[in-house]
Amino acid sequence: MPIVALVIAARQVVLSNYHGLAVWKGGGMGMFASMDGQSNRFAQLFVTQSDGTRQPLTHLLHAQKEAIGNALNYPVRRNFLAVAKSIATIEWASSPDRMPVVLIDSKGEPAGRASESYHMMAPYRPWPRDKKWSGNIQIEYWKMSYNPLTRSCHATLAETFTFTPDEVQQ
Amino acid sequence: MSVAEPSQRNLARRFTLESLIESIQQMELVQLVSLLTLFLAVIFPFDHWIFIITARVCLFLFLVFPIIIRKPAFWAALALSATVVTILEWATTDNHKYLLLYWLWVMVFCHAAIDPDQKRRVLIFNARFFLCFVFLAAVAQKLSSPSYRSGEMFEFFLYCDPRFTAFGKLVGIDPTVPDAVQKVLDFFKSPFSQVINNDLLLPGTDRARIVALVLTFWDLSLQSLIGVLFLLRRTLTDKIAHFLLLFFVFTTYLPAPVFGFGWILAIMGFTLAKDKFPRIAGAYFVSFFAILLYQLPWREWVLGIKN
Repeated sequence: MPIVALVIAARQVVLSNYHGLAVWKGGGMGMFASMDGQSNRFAQLFVTQSDGTRQPLTHLLHAQKEAIGNALNYPVRRNFLAVAKSIATIEWASSPDRMPVVLIDSKGEPAGRASESYHMMAPYRPWPRDKKWSGNIQIEYWKMSYNPLTRSCHATLAETFTFTPDEVQQ
Repeated sequence: MSVAEPSQRNLARRFTLESLIESIQQMELVQLVSLLTLFLAVIFPFDHWIFIITARVCLFLFLVFPIIIRKPAFWAALALSATVVTILEWATTDNHKYLLLYWLWVMVFCHAAIDPDQKRRVLIFNARFFLCFVFLAAVAQKLSSPSYRSGEMFEFFLYCDPRFTAFGKLVGIDPTVPDAVQKVLDFFKSPFSQVINNDLLLPGTDRARIVALVLTFWDLSLQSLIGVLFLLRRTLTDKIAHFLLLFFVFTTYLPAPVFGFGWILAIMGFTLAKDKFPRIAGAYFVSFFAILLYQLPWREWVLGIKN
């Protein structure tokens, strides 16, 4: 068993350093070893159309949130594809009115309106089996970093995954 | 109050403490560790139906045929189901569940041995190895992590991890602080807000910074000491390592609700202490009770949340 444990720990270190696997998971015994894990990672999900416009998916189902959590622990394409496939099993209804995107300053105060605005998208009903999913699903994977000296938090877009209708309905 | 009462109380106290140590000493190590491990597998299982059902069936079989706990096949069922679950969910399986998986296989090898002395040696060797492995691997991961070394990890967790809010309150961090920080961070996560330059100032406090630095120093020094001292294999260093491990178990699993982790570390410590240090073995037994009591809803009580 000791050899198995050491091999799994070594594998975890490699995956953690090169493929983003959270140190909390995977057998490397790195619990409470890094801020980088599910607490500083988040995802934003959009459905994009052929004209380039995109709408954010805001009200996710429990299973979809769970899939996102799994993908954030190990942020590789196939895990986000599982999220996208789950999204494509649902028909999403958009709110009739567009909602403005508010600009926020570094103190967390509103500082005006951004140029874009979105419809709010919520799950409506299961996607009809005979109908093809339209539009790409775009998942932005973000990471937050914290500077304790300035008490500032910075968010960085780590990667954007785009999935075509063919991929999500395979 | 009669004169006899205090001495009766003393007798009762002596009876409780000494009889606990005595009865632990009278029980066989392999039998006791098997019982503690079965309890762990049932009470703090892998969060997957395959393992949960297997563990419950094993518990039922043990209650009906107690002798079955000595059969390697009994432990192989638990270890195999844990292996399947870990393979299925390897990337989302917590580190302490890996430890449970390894320990279940140790139980298989232990019970597969024919010689009773060999069974004990399998347990003792693996308990020492895994205690050193867990703590030294954790220390290596922590030392190689800039966000840990700078103290920012614990500070961020004091703000953002709801499990730490009650602990934060106990050490002087008002719960309104993490609330405010989380509201600010929500701006990053909402598609309907766009943070200028993606930079936000967090409404944190100096107290949180100090607590985070103390936690970082306490955590790293304690874990490295435990790992190194168990590695040395001397009576004195073992004794100190046991005291530190007990201190770690008693203090860590109150704020950090990873009870299965605490329980398995206590099993390993108990395995090493049982025959060499009877009183320390008794203290590990007390730690099992403490871990169960730590599941009281004390966070809600501290934060004044009514269910």
